[in-house]
Amino acid sequence: MIRKKRTEILIKGSPEVSAKLAQEILTVHEVTTIEEPNNSLVMVKVRESAQRSLFYLGEVLITECKVMIKGILGIGMIKGHEPVLAYNLAIIDAAYNANLPETNEWANLLLSEEVKIKEACEALNNKILKTKVNFATMDV
Amino acid sequence: MGYVAVKGGTLAIEESIKRLKYERLKKRVVLDCHKIEGGMRCLIDQVMSESSLYNETLAAMAIKQAEGSPEEAVFLMRAYRSTLPRKHYSRTVESEDMLVERRISASFKDIPGGQILGAANDYTHRLIDFNLNEETDEEAVNWIREYALENVVDQDKTDLTNLPKVLNYLREAGLLPSCERDNREPDDVTKESLQFPTSRSERLQILTRGQTGAVTSIGYIALRSYGALHPTVGELRIGKLPLHVDNPFNEQNEDEDAYYIGEIKVTEVETLFPEDIQKFTGQKEIEFSLGYGICYGQNETKAIAMSILDHCLETGNPEYPTHNEEFVLLHIDSVESTGFISHLKLPHYVTFQSKLDSVRKSKKGQVGQNMESNEELNP
Repeated sequence: MIRKKRTEILIKGSPEVSAKLAQEILTVHEVTTIEEPNNSLVMVKVRESAQRSLFYLGEVLITECKVMIKGILGIGMIKGHEPVLAYNLAIIDAAYNANLPETNEWANLLLSEEVKIKEACEALNNKILKTKVNFATMDV
Repeated sequence: MGYVAVKGGTLAIEESIKRLKYERLKKRVVLDCHKIEGGMRCLIDQVMSESSLYNETLAAMAIKQAEGSPEEAVFLMRAYRSTLPRKHYSRTVESEDMLVERRISASFKDIPGGQILGAANDYTHRLIDFNLNEETDEEAVNWIREYALENVVDQDKTDLTNLPKVLNYLREAGLLPSCERDNREPDDVTKESLQFPTSRSERLQILTRGQTGAVTSIGYIALRSYGALHPTVGELRIGKLPLHVDNPFNEQNEDEDAYYIGEIKVTEVETLFPEDIQKFTGQKEIEFSLGYGICYGQNETKAIAMSILDHCLETGNPEYPTHNEEFVLLHIDSVESTGFISHLKLPHYVTFQSKLDSVRKSKKGQVGQNMESNEELNP
């Protein structure tokens, strides 16, 4: 599974999923922490829609962690102060980068988590769509 | 006159800081940061926007420490921000990718995807709800449960992650000039001192981190007195934007190899300004120009005011101070303006003594002159 989709599912989904996958790796492989989870900033680059140019909107606090498995690096990055999640994400990233056999079994779990995320998102969308205005033309 | 070094304030300062803590705690109630985060959404959004640092938890702590003063909370956030390394830049965020929670247009009744009111104070009576004085956590939990269980008729299949932009509709209809993407790297006002004339990216960065009150007031000045503009909000949308960071070990920066790191809530406004344009034929035609506003969180007034000021600064009419980039951009930053005003409280003993000496000398000179002139009048 590509990194963009994988990280979105792991961050939007239950933290239990990332904890479970990371634990699976920790019980079998040696994981070396290269960079402890620490806070830093990401500058957000935005495209404005009036002239479609780029500018910097501001910074976002993130937690970042780097680990190594079998000499292969993995990075965990997440918005906010989330040291445990950043560590787990780094382990999962390293596992995918190192093509560990465990990762072959993870696709179904991640896809089923994606379904749950979509269901929760749909429920939220339906609530928001209840605030949509239904204009009716008045007879004057 | 030379400078005189003095000491002796340390104990007084320590006691003053104790008094400050006493003022915060004197009612023997401690504010829970989670409760601030839960119940002070708009203040948190304002503080994050003005400090240019997105993190609700930090903003809640800063608000607690500042006893609810936004300027002090912003100062704390900016100070903390300066201790952190900036390790990454996000991939370009496109507001078309927003998961919309509220979206309205004052220009068109019927917009593709519809007018979605979302959460807003606009439709409330603005009467104080005295029941809130007795509100409990248990009631809140019950209300949330009941709200979640309310029947939702799942007939509207509008995709809130892919709502078309009103501006695009106008561009496609030929009512606005089409516009190519400008991919030049933006300037960064946090890295380089501002030089005039500024670039568009610098102007937008300063406006979005401007103090809400200042941006609103100067925007209001532009509407009411200096230029007497009356724009129309083409589209105001509030929602969440996904953030992605490129893989630092992949120089090709492939989209699919990026890291998703979470989402941020923003308010975005596109404003339309009708303008009379003199054509070559001598005829006058009305055309629209645009203003753009965006800020962290839900802060609609600030985003609309920003769009007005964006248009003013792009126009640059020398008749009006609101069109002067030095006038606007150098005076709307919270830390800069409150800091400069506050510095007047700091000891100015030497400079003031110097002024006092001058006053005394000139008074003495006047008295001497008066005496001389009196002697001349009364020899």
